[in-house]
Amino acid sequence: MIRSQKFWICVCAAVFALSLIWCAAVLLAPHGDSVRISQDGRVLYTLDLSKEKDRRIEVEYQGRKNIIEIKDGRIRMLEADCPDHVCIHTGWLSSDIPIVCLPNRLVIEFAGSDLDAAVG
Amino acid sequence: MKLKKLAVLALLTAASLILFVIELNFPTLAPVPGIKLGLANIITVYAVYSFTAGETAMVLAVRILLGALIAGEPFTLIFSFSGGLLCLAGMLLLRKVIDKKHIWVCSVLGAVLHNVGQLTAAFFVMNTSAVLAYAPFLLAAGCLAGALTGFAAQFVISRLKGRIDI
Amino acid sequence: MVCKKVFGMLTAAAVLFCSCTLGESSKKSGQLFAMDTYMTFTAWGENAQAGIDAASGRIVSLEKLLSVTDSGSEVFRADHSGGKAVDVSPETAWLASFAVGMNTITEGALDITLYPVLSEWGFTAEEYKVPDADRLSELLRNTGAQKISVSGNKLTVPEGMMIDFGAVAKGYAARLAAEDMKAAGVEAAVLDLGGNVQTVGRKPDGSDWKIGIRDPAGEGIIGTLSVGECAVVTSGGYERCFTSGGKTYHHILDPATGCPAESGLVSVTVIGEKGEYCDALSTALFVLGADKARELWKKLGDFEYAALTDKNELILSKGISESFTPDESHSSLKVTVAE
Repeated sequence: MIRSQKFWICVCAAVFALSLIWCAAVLLAPHGDSVRISQDGRVLYTLDLSKEKDRRIEVEYQGRKNIIEIKDGRIRMLEADCPDHVCIHTGWLSSDIPIVCLPNRLVIEFAGSDLDAAVG
Repeated sequence: MKLKKLAVLALLTAASLILFVIELNFPTLAPVPGIKLGLANIITVYAVYSFTAGETAMVLAVRILLGALIAGEPFTLIFSFSGGLLCLAGMLLLRKVIDKKHIWVCSVLGAVLHNVGQLTAAFFVMNTSAVLAYAPFLLAAGCLAGALTGFAAQFVISRLKGRIDI
Repeated sequence: MVCKKVFGMLTAAAVLFCSCTLGESSKKSGQLFAMDTYMTFTAWGENAQAGIDAASGRIVSLEKLLSVTDSGSEVFRADHSGGKAVDVSPETAWLASFAVGMNTITEGALDITLYPVLSEWGFTAEEYKVPDADRLSELLRNTGAQKISVSGNKLTVPEGMMIDFGAVAKGYAARLAAEDMKAAGVEAAVLDLGGNVQTVGRKPDGSDWKIGIRDPAGEGIIGTLSVGECAVVTSGGYERCFTSGGKTYHHILDPATGCPAESGLVSVTVIGEKGEYCDALSTALFVLGADKARELWKKLGDFEYAALTDKNELILSKGISESFTPDESHSSLKVTVAE
């Protein structure tokens, strides 16, 4: 293995810089209105936020509840029966960063606008 | 094992456990699960540069187990272990090439590996690639936290030089 | 030396990232509210904006001709002419002829003379009620698309009758708008007229367009159609309905009874070359029901369809069965192929 200290310092700097660029890419990536809600890997709902009326969706996992709110074309976790509430602190879904409730295996994310249009 | 060494290792384990518990009470740093300072790792990094691989592994394993029990969250064990294991393995390899003056470098790379381990575990537990979107944030935060704890560990070592002889 | 390598890597990564996020710059979109619907046009290429403007202009001018409520429209004049012939634009005359022709082809299932009956149910003013049976019979006497006559550019709607192009206007508008886009030099575009879709060419990267079919129950998409250049139109009672006395009444009336068609279908999607044809057929097939729809499909042979029944079964005509992919969230959907 390489013994030069400078090398390893450069590796650190590179990892850090690349991660920052990657962060920016995730935050700035354009997204459509298509949202996917899945639990334990199974897709529960695929929604089009631009066509959704304001409503609440309740999801259960092993007796614990999550309440998802859709309002004004945005989506967020309103209530969650979990220890840390990170999912609620994430706020409204606004980038490629998903809303994840780890203990309840619930994920809300933009589903990569692969639809060009929808009928019906 | 010599009694004195056992006592010192136990002391270190206790110290890292205390740091872990203190950190539990900090407010959530970011809306990303897994982003934390990792203060308990100051001890782990110090141990990597002061003790054998086996001894460091023991300190780490006991701290993770007891930490999960104290926090009341056995669910997090899978993440702590996968992260801790990868981090320890990496640091043990790196300590051969990174000298004591640059412990922070080893700590940064250890933190990065820790987060990689945690993300991988989350990927398999959650069964969705959504968690990978967290990767860049965990990596960036890991670099920063790793540098912080690394400098702290470096400070501890330079101050303790010659004071603890086992 | 090492640091130079690292620096080089970083620059490469930065360039890659920039090109990925800024790649879609040749795509342009336009929105328009017309014909009671929110419409979106998306086009690619250097003529994209010109195409979008042309399409929007066409939709607006067509609405002025065809609106049944706008007192300045040609349809309004024809409906209130007291049975006299009215001079209309070629587009209006053509559409009227087309609709009468479709009435024959669908054996009466598509009828553009039901406006008075629709009004009686309250669908036009959103003041819903269940009409009295005698009143319905009386109104039905003044329906029947065959009574309309079109001669050159003269349209005659008999006294006491009213026509409305609600079942074909959007499809027709979509086709003409798409033709205008092509004339403006656009080679790839998708026009979404609120559930009435018309595509131009193929996607810029050569792949098929992905058109989702919405779930009538409101839970996202039941599946996706992969198509080339065509029109895709859906008709469903759920789009406008009301409940009274525990029963739900929707707006797609059966011309024979004057009441909401009860054919066992919840939504029908027709895929074909021309917008107005698919639009007319989607309404007709909805009224006809699964079996007669299949017969008509076999007989005409120039369109494909996807019919969702009230038993959560999706019937796909053979030609489109390979192009439909059910959505993961609707894995319980039973799909059958009509041959």
